[in-house]
Amino acid sequence: MSFDLHRPATVTEAVDLAQRFAPTARYVAGGTDTVIQINRKKIDPAHLIDVACLPGMSEITETADAFALGALTKYRSIETHPAFRGNLRVLLEAASVVGGHQVRNIATIGGNIVNASPAADFVPPLLALDASLDITGPKGRRSVALRDFIVGPGRTNLSPVEIVTSIRFAKLPARSATAFLKEGRRRAMEISVVCVAACLTLEASTSRCASVRLAIGAASPKAFRPQQAEGFLIGKPAGKESFAEAGRLAAEASSPISDVRASAGYRRGLVAVMVERALTTCLQRIREQNQ
Amino acid sequence: MNRKILNIVVNGESHQVLIEPHWTLLQVLRNEIGMMGTKENCLEAECGVCTVLLDGKAINSCILLAGQVEGCSITTIEGIGDPEHLHPLQEAFIECGAVQCGYCIPGMILTAKSFLDENPGCRPSRDEIREAIAGTLCRCTGYRKIIDAVATAADRIALSGAKQ
Ligand SMILES: Cc1cc2nc3c(=O)[nH]c(=O)nc-3n(C[C@H](O)[C@H](O)[C@H](O)COP(=O)(O)OP(=O)(O)OC[C@H]3O[C@@H](n4cnc5c(N)ncnc54)[C@H](O)[C@@H]3O)c2cc1C
Repeated sequence: MSFDLHRPATVTEAVDLAQRFAPTARYVAGGTDTVIQINRKKIDPAHLIDVACLPGMSEITETADAFALGALTKYRSIETHPAFRGNLRVLLEAASVVGGHQVRNIATIGGNIVNASPAADFVPPLLALDASLDITGPKGRRSVALRDFIVGPGRTNLSPVEIVTSIRFAKLPARSATAFLKEGRRRAMEISVVCVAACLTLEASTSRCASVRLAIGAASPKAFRPQQAEGFLIGKPAGKESFAEAGRLAAEASSPISDVRASAGYRRGLVAVMVERALTTCLQRIREQNQ
Repeated sequence: MNRKILNIVVNGESHQVLIEPHWTLLQVLRNEIGMMGTKENCLEAECGVCTVLLDGKAINSCILLAGQVEGCSITTIEGIGDPEHLHPLQEAFIECGAVQCGYCIPGMILTAKSFLDENPGCRPSRDEIREAIAGTLCRCTGYRKIIDAVATAADRIALSGAKQ
């Protein structure tokens, strides 16, 4: 284990360094995935390029109709931000179950996305919010939807020299709520056995579902949106019966593995139950908003 | 070797250390600066005995590259009080008998301090304390008294804050 650590002052400088030292270079932010992988000899970069020191990438910015989270935003900043206590609670709920406080004080959301673990806890909430990533590379900037960004376990469509600078998503319409649920073997410091994020919007004057986005982690090679379950709910009355059916459809669409944490069958069972519960929580939250 | 100079402030004192790029903050604190109160154990951020404060916030020093904290301010257990002037958390840990083997205690106290400092004057519930220290393991399983100690310290800090 031996590498050089570079500390660029700007994104352009970071990209230049990555190009110069590709393919033996790697970016590092909080380092909570990278340093452990180096120690375990899973990766052996000759050059680490520190992006944690780049300016302007840690801000949470609110505009009239959207939010932008800098890629270097820490979980603890999401947890303590007042904007995520209302209908964007899914972000607070996911951020607050990542590792312990020590990890949440330094690990970044950008690192979680680029690491692309099937069990990454912050990916399903952002999928449920239909988030996009802003990326800077040698050819300039581009933007890509998160659902197209992660292509498989640990694999993304980011080139090794590109940097994710921020994550954007639109604010939700009236009569919307979100929720995140995680199941692990214990209640804290645990990798998800399954996690589920839900975003539900009801029609203006009925209790029918107008829009539904579900995202499921740790139950397939990458976090996914169960489109049949989502589609089934549109126009249906929000409630136990329709939510249970959505859970069943989502479980059917998942393709979990058996590993040390749980069997595939148990994971599939969890998907069904957790999708139903997450939707029920959303419905309760919408009702509370209107009281 | 490609050693580089690292400037850091540890417990208020400036240090210049010649480091190798792969050294962690934990290695620098123990081996170069001699702050042995910061413990080493799992080396994967799972257990929390290596916890120190980075610009006031608890982090795991075992997986943080020292080169990434150039110019930053670090607080270790040696920096929050001394036998004549104990920090309220240290005082409460002693009073409540919250220390068994002691190995996790520096990390426990710093984790708690980081949490209490986030909301000055707060009096967290036992569940909130439990959640806050979840990243710091006590192999003796002495959590009850540790939680008593954090709650006691929080009460006292809140009271003395209210008086001032
Ligand atoms: C004890 C412990 C507990 C954990 N618990 C959880 C958990 O409960 N849930 C969970 O989801 N994860 C968990 N993790 C994993 C990890 O902390 C998260 O995935 C974290 O968000 C990674 O962020 P980082 O900044 O530390 O990433 P790094 O390790 O710095 O980077 C990860 C990867 O992303 C790349 N990268 C980082 N930032 C950028 C960028 N801006 N642009 C381009 N590439 C970039 C790096 O090159 C690297 O490949 C845990 C880790 C530890 C050590």
